[in-house]
Amino acid sequence: MNDVRADLKNLKIGVYVCHCGKNIADVVDVKRVADFASKLPGVEVAREYLHMCDDVGQEMISKDIMELGINRVVVAACSPKVHELTFRDTLRKAGLNPYLLEMANIREQCSWVHRSDPDRATEKAIDLVKMAVAKARWLIPLETKAVEVTRSALVIGGGIAGIQAALDVADNGYQVYLVEKGPSLGGRMGQWSKVFPTMDCAACILTPKMVSAAQHPKIKLLTNSELIEASGSLGNFKVKIRKRPRYVDEEKCTACGLCAQKCPVRIPNEVDFGMSSRKAIYITSPNAVPLAYSIDGENCLYLKRGICRVCERVCEAKAIDFDQKEEVLELRVGSIIVAIGYDPFDPTPLEEYGFGRYKDVVTGPMLERMTDPMGPTGGAILRPSTGKPPRKVAFIQCVGSRDARFNLYCSRVCCMYAIKDSLIIKEQNPESDVYIFYMDIRAFGKGYEEFYLRSQEAGVKFIRGKVSSIREDPRTHELVLRYEDTLLGTALEDSFDLVVLSVGQVPRADTDAISKILGIPRSADGFLMEAHPKLRPNDAVVDGIYLAGSAQYPKDIPDAVAQASGAAARALIPLSMGQVYVEPISPLIEEDRCGGCGVCVKLCPYGALKLEEREDKRVAKVDEVLCKGCGTCSAACPSGAVRSRMFTEEQILSMISSAAG
Amino acid sequence: MIENRKGDWFEPRILGFLCNWCSYAAADLAGMSRMEYPPNIRCVRVMCSGRVEPSFVLEALREGYDGVLIAGCHPPSDCHYQSGNLKARRRYYLLRKLLRELGINPDRVRLEWASASEGQRFAEIVKDFTERLRRLGPSPLKVKRVGAE
Amino acid sequence: MGRKYALFLGCLIPNRYPGIEAAARKVLPRIGIELADMNGASCCPAPGVVKSFSRPAWLAVAARNLCIAEDMALDVLTFCNGCYGTLADANHSLKADRALRDSVNSKLKEVGMVFKGSVGVRHLAEVLMKEVTPEGIRRAVTKPLGLRAAVHYGCHLIKPKVLREWVGSAERPTFLDELTEALGAESVEWEDKMACCGAGGGVRSAVLDVSLRMLNRKLLSAKEAGADFILNVCPFCHLQFDRGQIELQRLYGLQPYDMPVLHYVQALGLAMGYGPHELGVDMNFVGMDRILSKLP
Repeated sequence: MNDVRADLKNLKIGVYVCHCGKNIADVVDVKRVADFASKLPGVEVAREYLHMCDDVGQEMISKDIMELGINRVVVAACSPKVHELTFRDTLRKAGLNPYLLEMANIREQCSWVHRSDPDRATEKAIDLVKMAVAKARWLIPLETKAVEVTRSALVIGGGIAGIQAALDVADNGYQVYLVEKGPSLGGRMGQWSKVFPTMDCAACILTPKMVSAAQHPKIKLLTNSELIEASGSLGNFKVKIRKRPRYVDEEKCTACGLCAQKCPVRIPNEVDFGMSSRKAIYITSPNAVPLAYSIDGENCLYLKRGICRVCERVCEAKAIDFDQKEEVLELRVGSIIVAIGYDPFDPTPLEEYGFGRYKDVVTGPMLERMTDPMGPTGGAILRPSTGKPPRKVAFIQCVGSRDARFNLYCSRVCCMYAIKDSLIIKEQNPESDVYIFYMDIRAFGKGYEEFYLRSQEAGVKFIRGKVSSIREDPRTHELVLRYEDTLLGTALEDSFDLVVLSVGQVPRADTDAISKILGIPRSADGFLMEAHPKLRPNDAVVDGIYLAGSAQYPKDIPDAVAQASGAAARALIPLSMGQVYVEPISPLIEEDRCGGCGVCVKLCPYGALKLEEREDKRVAKVDEVLCKGCGTCSAACPSGAVRSRMFTEEQILSMISSAAG
Repeated sequence: MIENRKGDWFEPRILGFLCNWCSYAAADLAGMSRMEYPPNIRCVRVMCSGRVEPSFVLEALREGYDGVLIAGCHPPSDCHYQSGNLKARRRYYLLRKLLRELGINPDRVRLEWASASEGQRFAEIVKDFTERLRRLGPSPLKVKRVGAE
Repeated sequence: MGRKYALFLGCLIPNRYPGIEAAARKVLPRIGIELADMNGASCCPAPGVVKSFSRPAWLAVAARNLCIAEDMALDVLTFCNGCYGTLADANHSLKADRALRDSVNSKLKEVGMVFKGSVGVRHLAEVLMKEVTPEGIRRAVTKPLGLRAAVHYGCHLIKPKVLREWVGSAERPTFLDELTEALGAESVEWEDKMACCGAGGGVRSAVLDVSLRMLNRKLLSAKEAGADFILNVCPFCHLQFDRGQIELQRLYGLQPYDMPVLHYVQALGLAMGYGPHELGVDMNFVGMDRILSKLP
């Protein structure tokens, strides 16, 4: 294992060129590639086959290993990000060290991007195989290392996805830390009244889950808390959580509400999107979990200016505690589930719709709050300008979604919530007219198409076309919509007394911060990126971190819950295995070459290198647990003593010269 | 854009060093999205742009590549290894100085950033760099090598 | 402080409404805007029509016009929304895209020109708002108009929004209203203020019927709002409002609107005390009597 010099004499390289059905073979002349490879020095055999990753393909490789004594394997196929692990397994099962494999990416980086020039694509594929063979000559057997796992998980976000994931992990018997930024669990779902297509009362199905999570013996609930730092890797993460003070003792508070009655500070209530107000001491909902009031330090007169304390005087339970301080908790966990959710799109930049200028133009989530019996209107849908029920309502779909100016993606929930709200309006006032202006109705889920039909039967009118502008008639204060009816092929105008903008989901404001703390990338749409769009939708790009709910992409409740359970199942794998295998990523230090200069020590971003005293000199020493394998140390070492095991200097230099012109 | 009529002119040979987390993923995404770019580049995957030794670049030029692309994660903070991209950038500017001293046009070496979601950007970088190198013509080192043979 | 610009006249001003040029040449130097002629300038060419048929041809001709200003080392000034749309957008595209620039330059080589990207393109409204400022206009005004103006911005002046940073809001802009009020006129609220006049994009040439229906809506709402005249900053919008009234009358038998139409430079001229004939306002199809009689 310590011998980093490859055994160049007894090389027997096998090269396997994959057609990937027609994905590669349609562009690249795979036979020419294999023929060429078979003549390269050290290559014992070169084959081409339809699907190298299928049973027959893998069998082909293991047979060669066992019968021909192949001791280095080159697979020219897709990206190593897709099948490197598959083929490493093939080698392992055939009795060969799995790190004696090199892949040539002739699909993503060749056939798929050079389709119009098959000749030059084939030349490139040959070069990529030459390079992989060159590297394979210098591959050395490496050992994975088993590391004990910290058998607990961190779940970030206390919405429905986070709650579901936390419950699943905890029900399997492992400790969970459930971190919620706000004072209560519930998330976005906690703001909704009824949910499609069943018209269930959201609180009736959500509250029991919130309570189970809070009371679960294996779940430690941390509200008013956020992640501020993370380090470590799969199986052993170290995280720091900042817990802001609630200034109310959760155990003592009886949620009688007297404090809020007496509190003199009145500010817009974010739960109701500013349609109502709350006090500086408040509770987000009568169903809040934990059921305890919370003081908002930004607005409390005592905390800001040292006066008042009226809540303290009226509280019979003596629950107010202004001495609470901010805490920073350090936790160790084996897996992390990110369920930070979404924000509703803010339609203010769409000036043509006049949101913020016309009172009777509201967003879907605002209407949703009106339908809530505990919301700002006690459950009645009313025109904000008059406080009276609307007679004619328009929903405008795809506001901020499927719009090149804002977000190209479909937000997936707006069609269905508009349909749901249209039915609620019809229930409240059967005489009212409801119009939905849409581009396409996407009723893709179970029971959704049926739900769509129900609203059509209830008399909701669906107009296929985009609304170009809204203006208020100065005399009647009605809203005049100008739109195109694409089925009639004509431009029309109509007046309404309430307009609802069906805004979609956008990444939560703190998505960027979380992505930086955890080192997990975002997709072009801004949501957190999954490890593979089809096959690993629950995993973040970094091992040991998993994604649940709308943090990854807009989702409705059933999808968010399903993905949360999926993420929990993925997160449970390292916890239940108890051990994880760490790839041999850390560098090998050749002590006789090391001059003890310490350049690598200064460069290492993880403090994984330090100098150790030997009898006659000092040498660098690497801490394999801290090392993440970036190779910056190798690049900087002036004497070539620090050697990246999987990317050695010999490997890279021979790749360079093998394909030189 | 000058059309690619095969064989009519010089086709540069480019070596790319792509970091595993951002730019290699961007190149894969360009493939998954079936974006076309010139087949002049051959890429070496490294874990981090910070792994790229200046000597790798010099070696590539000595071996006759007409251009070398180093691509990593966007600074300041996209780097999977916190600051490898910043180290790559520091080395890159020193390397450009050195190339100038050696009489090699420093534009033959290019440092770029492409995140895992920027397949389009990666394809454009390769297009642009290829076009640029076509105009710069064959590397003087390559001409010497060929002349010596 | 005086500022010098390369004046891009375009086609419509010299051919259909030379009064706008006459007014500009009298009025602008007096508020510190010096005009230099662009020798050899051609059609911009029109952003809706020509660009839709051939973007490369559109870019090449626009680039040629821009090269003339580059040789003069002056920013281009235009008071036509269409010319502005073409020249500003082509200038932006060519500056931002090296490959595009190279391909255009390979065509320009034939006429011995190179696009360098060294000048900017300004619409008169932008220069008035940002350099002269409404306060500067107010100081130059000797005879405040005292009229009610229906202000029409036009499309290319304010859109695409991403390329018109100086505009602020593209849906509810205010700069032209501020400039109009500086003339001592009142800018009225009118229902269809931000709608297209119906001329651009080849609509007027291809489907006059649709074009005139769009115009009729605008005229109706300007009339309902009690406007004395329509104020514009573009000769094509100007033509549509002016000539279009006659067409509505002749083709559809509508009652005449008798709504006078003024380009901003003409309105500014009146407010600075020039006579109607000096400003060429008597070259309009629709008479000016309704407002001339009200002027102080």
